[in-house]
Order: sequence, then C-alpha cells, then structure tokens
Amino acid sequence: MLEIILMIIIVVSAILALIQKDLLNAAILTGFSGGALAVLFQILLAPDVALTQAIVGAAIVPVFIALTVKKTQRSDD
Amino acid sequence: MNELIPLMVIVPMIAALLLSAFSKFDKVIKVLAFVVAFCLPIIPLVSNYGLHYFGGYQPVLEPITNMTYHPAITYSFNFMQQIFIAIIGLLTFLVIFIYLTKYKKVSGPYLFLVFMGTAAVTALILTDDIFNMFVFFEILALAQVGIVAASSIDYSYEMALKYMILGSIGSPIMLLGIGFLLALTGSVNITDIVLAIRSGIVNFKSPVFLISLGLIFFGWLYASGLPPFHTIKSGIYSKAEPHGAALLQSFTVISMISIVLILFRVYSVLPIFEVLIVLFSVLAMILGVSLALTQTDFRRMIGFLAVGELGFIGLGIGLGTQFSITAGLFQALNEIVITALLFIGFGAIVNATNEVDTRKLGGLLAYHPKVSIMLLIGGLAMAGVPPLSGFQSKLMLVQASLSCGYPELSILAIMVSIATFVVFVKTFYSMFLRPKPHDLDVVTKDVPRAMIFAMAVLLIIVIAFGLFPDVVTNGISQYVGGMIH
Amino acid sequence: MSQLAVLFTSVALVVIGLYAAIFVDNIIKKIIGISFIEEGANLFIVGIGYKSGGIVPILAPNMDVSWFTANASYPLPYGLVLTSIVIGASTLAVMLALVMVLYRRYGTLSTKVMLADTSKQEEYDE
Repeated sequence: MLEIILMIIIVVSAILALIQKDLLNAAILTGFSGGALAVLFQILLAPDVALTQAIVGAAIVPVFIALTVKKTQRSDD
Repeated sequence: MNELIPLMVIVPMIAALLLSAFSKFDKVIKVLAFVVAFCLPIIPLVSNYGLHYFGGYQPVLEPITNMTYHPAITYSFNFMQQIFIAIIGLLTFLVIFIYLTKYKKVSGPYLFLVFMGTAAVTALILTDDIFNMFVFFEILALAQVGIVAASSIDYSYEMALKYMILGSIGSPIMLLGIGFLLALTGSVNITDIVLAIRSGIVNFKSPVFLISLGLIFFGWLYASGLPPFHTIKSGIYSKAEPHGAALLQSFTVISMISIVLILFRVYSVLPIFEVLIVLFSVLAMILGVSLALTQTDFRRMIGFLAVGELGFIGLGIGLGTQFSITAGLFQALNEIVITALLFIGFGAIVNATNEVDTRKLGGLLAYHPKVSIMLLIGGLAMAGVPPLSGFQSKLMLVQASLSCGYPELSILAIMVSIATFVVFVKTFYSMFLRPKPHDLDVVTKDVPRAMIFAMAVLLIIVIAFGLFPDVVTNGISQYVGGMIH
Repeated sequence: MSQLAVLFTSVALVVIGLYAAIFVDNIIKKIIGISFIEEGANLFIVGIGYKSGGIVPILAPNMDVSWFTANASYPLPYGLVLTSIVIGASTLAVMLALVMVLYRRYGTLSTKVMLADTSKQEEYDE
C-alpha cells in the first residue's frame, strides 16, 4: 500500500513541478519526487541505492536547480 | 604483458586528473601532458593480446547449466583494439602537441577533457561489459561537450548545450535498453549475453528483446551522429577548435564502431538488425553528401562529409559477412586519419585568414603550398582515389556488397564517392586555385610548424595504408572471423 | 503486483520527462524533465532486481547460503543504478552551468531565444 502512495507522490509532484510558474517551487517539487523515489528504493530492497538517491535526488539536484534559479530568474515566462 | 591492458585507460585518466589538479603550474602540466601523450600510442603496441578481469575475478563455471559466466568487468584486447587504440593515441599526441605549441598559456581543464575523452573511447573499444560501455559513453559525451564549450568560436556554448540536451535524452533511453537486456538475460557481460541467446536460454523472438534493440539503437544513433542527429554532429565539429574537431570526429568513429560491434554480437540473430543498420547508413551517406554540397562554411562541409563517411562504415557492418565487416572497420580506421588530416589542414587555413566562408576565399595556393598539397591528397583519399587508403577500403566495401548480392548498394557507394570527390574538388578550387578576391587579406604569418608536422604524420599513414592494406586487414579479418563464429 | 506498479511509475516518469524535454520552452524545466527521464530509467532497473517477498541482498554471518540465494533479490542492477544516479547528477550540473553562462548573454530562459541563434546563424550561412 505504501508503495502505491509513494508512486502517486512521485508522479503527481513530477507533473506539478512542470506546471509551476515559480521555478523555485519547481525545484522543491523535484526534491519531493526524488525523496519519494528514495523511499521507494528502500521498499524495493535496495538500501544502498536509496541512500544515494536520498542525497542526490532529494538534496543535491534541487539545490543545484535552486542555485541556477537564483543566478538567473525566478519566474517562468 | 597483459597488465598493460587496464593501463591504457588508467594512464590517460590519471593524467587528466593530475593536469586538472596542477593547472596552476604551467611548466609542469606542459611536460606532463607531452610525456603522457607520447606514451599513449606506445602502450598498446607493446602490450600482449588477451583478456583482463578487473579485480582478478576469473570466469566461473556454473555447475547446473554447465556454462561459464564472467563476474568481473572484462576488457578484451586483440589486434583490432590494438590498431585503433594506437591510432587514437597517436592522434591525441598530435592534438596535444599542436595545442601545446599554439598557446603560451595552456589550460589544465582543457587538457583534462582531451585526456578524459581519450580514456573514455579507449575503454569503449576495450570493454566487454555493456554497462561499462554505457558509463564511458556518458563520460565521452561530457568530454565532447567540454571540448566544444572550451573553444573560442561564437555560439559554441549554445551548440554544447544543444548537444548535451539531446545526449541526456538519448543516454537514459539507452540505459532503459540495457535494463531490458539485463532483465532478459540477467547479465551485463556481453559474452554471457551472447551465450545465453545462442544456447536458447533466452527467447530472442520475444518483444522485450526487440524493444531493447530499439532503445540501444537510438543511443547508438546519437553517439555516432547518424540521421536524425547528423546536423548536431556536424554542428559540434564546426564549433570546436580545428584540432579539437579532429579529435572529436575520431571519438565519434570509435564510439560508433565499438557500440555497433557490441550490438552486432548481441542482436545479429534478429534479421531486422542488419536491415536497420544498412537503412540508417544509406540515409547518412546520402544526407551527408547532399548537405555537404550546399555548405559554404568549409568546416561544416567537412563535418557533413565525415557523417557521410560514417555511412560507409555502417554499410560494411550492416552487410554482416566477415569480409564486409573487415572492410567497414578498415574504412573506420581510414576515416579517423583522413578526417583528422582535413580538419587540421582547414584549421591552418582558418588560422591564416580568419575566414570560413569558401565564397570569400581564393588563391591560397600561392601562400600555403604545403598545406594545400597535403589537403588535396587527404581529400582525394577521402573520395577514394587510388592508391590512397580510402580507395582500398571503399573498394573492399563495393566488393563486399556485390558478393552479398546487393549491386544497388555498391552502385550507391560509388555514386556517393563521386559526389564526395565533386564536393571536395569544388571547395578546393574555390579556396586555393581561383584568383584571390580583392577584399581578402591573407595574414602572411606562417602556418604553425606543429600543424604541418601533424599533417605530414597523418599523410604518411594514409599513403602507407593505401599501399599496404594487408598489414591491417589481415589482422582485422581474423578478429572479425573470431567474433562472428 | 508491486512490480507492475513500479513499471507503470517508471514509464510515467519517462513519458512526463520526454514531454517536458521536447515541448516545454523553459530551459530549466527542460532540464528538470531530463532528470525525470533518468529517474524513470533508474527505477525501472531497480524494479528488475526486486524480488517480491524477498530480502535485502546482504549476506549476514548467521544465514544459510542456499536460503539466502533463494530469497535475496538480485543485486547487480542495484550496483548499476548507483553509478547511473551519480552520472545523472553530474550531467545535470554541467547543463545548469551552461544555462547560467548563456543566461548572462541572452537574459532569458526561453529555449526559443537561447538556442535559436545558432540555427539562425546556420540559415545565414546557407
């Protein structure tokens, strides 16, 4: 059951990230999706992958995107 | 000395890291880069043939199915790998040499990218592990993007970003294909996969197998710049510095043949596989030459011609006989050398005139006779004029397609060769032979000696392969025979 | 059941990512889309190794080896995904760096403006 909820979180936050007008929100939603994916990896019996994905997907990728947004512009137009 | 096999990848990689780390010390990195680049072509020549298992994990005989399987990442080194790695090492040496003599202040990161690219293609051609291939495919894509972005030509960043976006769509798709193959066979070692398919454990008629072919094939098209990626590929050649472009095209050729040989070993049981390769190769030949005809920027023209030549390689491999694959690989070897020669030669012209439009050039024969003669010979070799190396490989290809029962393909190959000849002679005429336009001011400074030296070395190889093709083709033919059976 | 759901999620991620990478104009969203494609591919490969009702493939000292091989999930795909995640992050970083450089030149994140100039230049060349 938990994995179904996680999968819904992943897909929905991926879609939401792409329709945001504010790119900073998009970055945070990408982190949501990555973090949920990390938990899903844990459920799929891959703890090592889950650890890596938790760091990369939930922290590094959104921070990189947020830094780029800070250096460029925040709104999507 | 089998221990040298991993060193072919490790040496350029460590050199790259050191160069990047010590980029503040100008003198040190100059010496280091030169020494390592000098060693690169020598290591494969003194190494023995054989297999290398990383971590020392020998193949294991499984008692139940009575099949061996390879737990380690395996590198296999044979005559074919030796000759290609030696040529790529030589080319890297020449490029580094040109770069070091051209600039007073050298950039460590740029040398890092060059060495990393060389390490990646060396690993690509050595590896017998499909995931290892994917990793180095990605490293190679990053190195190529870096080499393009580091050039000082306008719009190079845009081209690099475009190439990168296409690449990062292509590589996960390739990864998915590898995933399907892994799901089907349970292994990433290509020898194991081939054994599983041949012995009937894996049903090769299943749609999953076909899907994996489609996905990996897409990645291959991107890596080799065949249509629909021919425009972006010739674009990145024209946005890189000339010596960088010479290296980039050799990376493309090597990644093309190493991935297609892996694909051939795994998928040649499917009849559609060879049709697909021949189809895209023919498309590349026709599109490459016809787009080259319309170009006025000669760097782009060479880029499109190089794409057209890639079609010849694909044609040889797609026909699928021992003779045709040998011809295709020999063509690949020739193309690396000839296209590098052309890129460096035209780079020398850009250096002297700061002009890339053939309509605005003319009368350069009087200013740069050495460069123009060498360029002419290189162009004739590319078009397939005897007794140069391009002629030998194209003759083999035409014979191969005739003996396979496809006279249409051999006629097409001859026509594309003639068109290549026309494109090249037209460009050569407008650049070197016709009267000099009044508004063109040729800087009367000499072409750098290093460029002349590099061209001369490459030209000697072209003529040597043309006169004595057996030296190479016999060994490659043996390797191909071992691969097919 | 849960493997089917994993397959569905990974396909959904790849499709969403492809849509974003091809049709969305904003370059940062394109790159986010590309990272979704990579995540989808990774999830798919982890799904290959997963064994329903199995255990984590770590051999503890007091385990029976034959029981372990019968129940553990397949660890090879997990090793591949580790590499693939790191590769994905590094390509993402390079792309974002190029975007920062290009933003300084064009002052916009629109792909049509940012990447169109090369094709304009090509038309001019032709």
